[in-house]
Amino acid sequence: MTHFRLKHGLTALALAGSAVFAAPALAQDDDTLVIARSMDVNSLDPSRAFCDTCQFYLTAVYETLVTLDPDNKTLVPNLAESWEVNDDFTEFTFMLKDAVFADGSPVEASDVVWTFERLKNLKASPSFLMDGLASAEAVDAKTVKFTVEAPNAEFLNKVSAPYAGIINAEVAEANGAVAGDGAAEGDKAEPWFLENSAGSGPFQLAGYSPEAELRLARNDSYWGTAPAFSEIVVTQIQDAVSQAQALETGQVDIAMQIDPDTAQSIRSGDVTTEVVPSFNFVYIGFIPGAKGMSEVLTPEVRQALALAIDYDGMLDFTVGGNGTKVAAPIPNGFPGTAGLTPREQDVEKAKEMLAAAGQSDLKLVAGYPNDNIYGVDFNIMMQKVQQDFAAVGVELELKPLTWAVWRDELGAGEWPVTAIYYAPDYYGSGQYVAYFAMIEGYPWTGRAGVGNDALVANPAEAELYAKALASSGEEAEAAYTALGEEMMKDAIILPLVSPNLVLAYRNDIEGVRYSACCNLPLAEISRK
Amino acid sequence: MTDASQPAAQIAPRRTPGPIARTMRRLPLTAKIGAAILLMWLITVVTVQLWPLADPLQMVGRRLQPPSMDHWLGTDALGRDVFSRTLHGAVWSIPIAIVVVACAVAIGSFLGAISGFFGGWWDTIIMRLVDVTVAFPPILLAMAVAAMLGPGLANASIAMVIVWWPIYARLMRAQVLEVREREHVEAAVAGGAPPLRVLRVHVLPLCWTPTLINATMDFGQVVLLAASLSFIGLGATPPSPEWGSMISEGATRFYNWWIAFGPGMAILTVVLATSFLGDGLRDLFDRRSQ
Repeated sequence: MTHFRLKHGLTALALAGSAVFAAPALAQDDDTLVIARSMDVNSLDPSRAFCDTCQFYLTAVYETLVTLDPDNKTLVPNLAESWEVNDDFTEFTFMLKDAVFADGSPVEASDVVWTFERLKNLKASPSFLMDGLASAEAVDAKTVKFTVEAPNAEFLNKVSAPYAGIINAEVAEANGAVAGDGAAEGDKAEPWFLENSAGSGPFQLAGYSPEAELRLARNDSYWGTAPAFSEIVVTQIQDAVSQAQALETGQVDIAMQIDPDTAQSIRSGDVTTEVVPSFNFVYIGFIPGAKGMSEVLTPEVRQALALAIDYDGMLDFTVGGNGTKVAAPIPNGFPGTAGLTPREQDVEKAKEMLAAAGQSDLKLVAGYPNDNIYGVDFNIMMQKVQQDFAAVGVELELKPLTWAVWRDELGAGEWPVTAIYYAPDYYGSGQYVAYFAMIEGYPWTGRAGVGNDALVANPAEAELYAKALASSGEEAEAAYTALGEEMMKDAIILPLVSPNLVLAYRNDIEGVRYSACCNLPLAEISRK
Repeated sequence: MTDASQPAAQIAPRRTPGPIARTMRRLPLTAKIGAAILLMWLITVVTVQLWPLADPLQMVGRRLQPPSMDHWLGTDALGRDVFSRTLHGAVWSIPIAIVVVACAVAIGSFLGAISGFFGGWWDTIIMRLVDVTVAFPPILLAMAVAAMLGPGLANASIAMVIVWWPIYARLMRAQVLEVREREHVEAAVAGGAPPLRVLRVHVLPLCWTPTLINATMDFGQVVLLAASLSFIGLGATPPSPEWGSMISEGATRFYNWWIAFGPGMAILTVVLATSFLGDGLRDLFDRRSQ
């Protein structure tokens, strides 16, 4: 039998060992910042990228018109020095600063128009940011004006998303980028963006090898304050424990994905860990459009199941209490969430409601990605859900799946329960409504109804959303609160936990913070 | 030995021990230890439900407790007793390994015997099928099949049988080819016995030894492959206390070492025990390796 020889095991061990020991340049080099992360890069083209790694990469290399203040609420100037919005939130005018791209050419209104049109026309993952954009025009070299089809008070916030970073149009076009109507087919620049960058940010792309490292070099012609490091290396380290070890040994300066449990086990005095609340959350979703479920997963049954979950226990089991409960699928701290109260477990009421609906011996299947996201092991989380459902007489079968299979089966409505996560791309509750609300044509309406939007649609939400987008301040907050309440009534999306985030770095590093739009702003980090 | 004892033994011979006991006695010490460990696991599989253990699926205390007198191997991330889960894991892992090895031996030996005995087209078709199957690295093939069928122990078992049967087909074919040429077989054929009867009565009984030795050694490997599939999420589904999925839960919690320790030791003992036993059996029976 030659299937598994000890020799092979030893070879694998030796390989794994060499991978650890041969890892990149030691962190002690003053001018280089080394960051440990499991990278999830799908693309490095700002208009195609859509990932957590992309958020901080794009922020360092491309600049947006406006960006988010460290208070994670207020929009502050970035490439635009000022902006004007008309009274009904349909026209947005930006006045640009005298910034330059990395090749020395000025950032002009034409670049902004080109970037936004390309973002819209590529029809890629982040293109939703430009939904409803009617026109973009360069009024003069330093003034650009956008018109949207319907009032959209959140357009300014959308512009602060890292995917809306301004690209040097001339350079990108020379390398195959297309912004016009045929961009989705005609644009051939994606490979070029994996090796080069064309932004105005404090850093430039120096090299990317998938599953290994992402290397950034200082942009020497940066128009603003020069960043402290001349080089940043993001090195691929898969799991939290390995990241913590690399941090303790000084192999890396910052570890980005340490969960609270692992953070507690760090003993080294050279490492600082801060636990901060995040805007990320994990949730379970019901899919009444799944095979044979349209008569079973009625709103009453979904409400009952929502009451069956032990939310406090969930917090303890998934993240050891290092997190917060979330009421509606809008992160705590975003507009309109102050007035929402998270659900509480009520086993008796859940049983009563299930009995009234004639579903006392319900059997459900949950398909979910077999992964660990934001420190939450989905297998652990779903086993807790399974136990809680069992307490009200509902049998839940668990199917942990690979991402590819999960996507396929989700689209086909193979199972009525799933679990997944969400992180914001900018500060604003609108993106959550646009993703989670039961409005016909919206992503989760399609998922929950499996093509039959009418099965789950909630007409009240479309009206409230239009109202929220046409107003600002308290009026908008009130509309978002009402939307949150409606979404809780739908009981399609049940947010379980908003895990806290651990900022873990060597003591000589400062300026590490968590941003709602941009994850980790690299340019603000320095060595003491 | 005294002079007096010898004639006494000749006069009243003791009852001769059975073939299994005789084999056991001649085995080297390591193989005896292996057999004892396996026997203990088998007893565990049969009787674990009767033991006064904590429920393997329910929370019994605070999560992530280190080993203590109450919880010998601590508790896992859901507050379940790791010791109890490890022992209950045997109920999943060991019967599956038995079924997989039995199916692989049955299918492989059947096809191998046909291939070796009848030769010709049968041989070509079956052996090319074997070649195609063994051309894939076993873990990759098992992963591909399990991923295609979806997670679950039944699917993982099917995947493992698909990976394993060619080994037995080759073994059996080689044995049959050798035995077929012996004189007693030629005599039976010359005597007009129908081919299937010749195969069954005159050939097969002489062909089983290598297969049985190999099956013993493979048993541990099957336990290991089943755990590997569960580790990467293609085998047992939660909350079943399968060893591979328990290690996978523990692997992300390096500092809570006890979560993976129990199932890890369980796999280690089973695999080592079968290797020891298989090695001992081979030394006894397999003339070529001596």
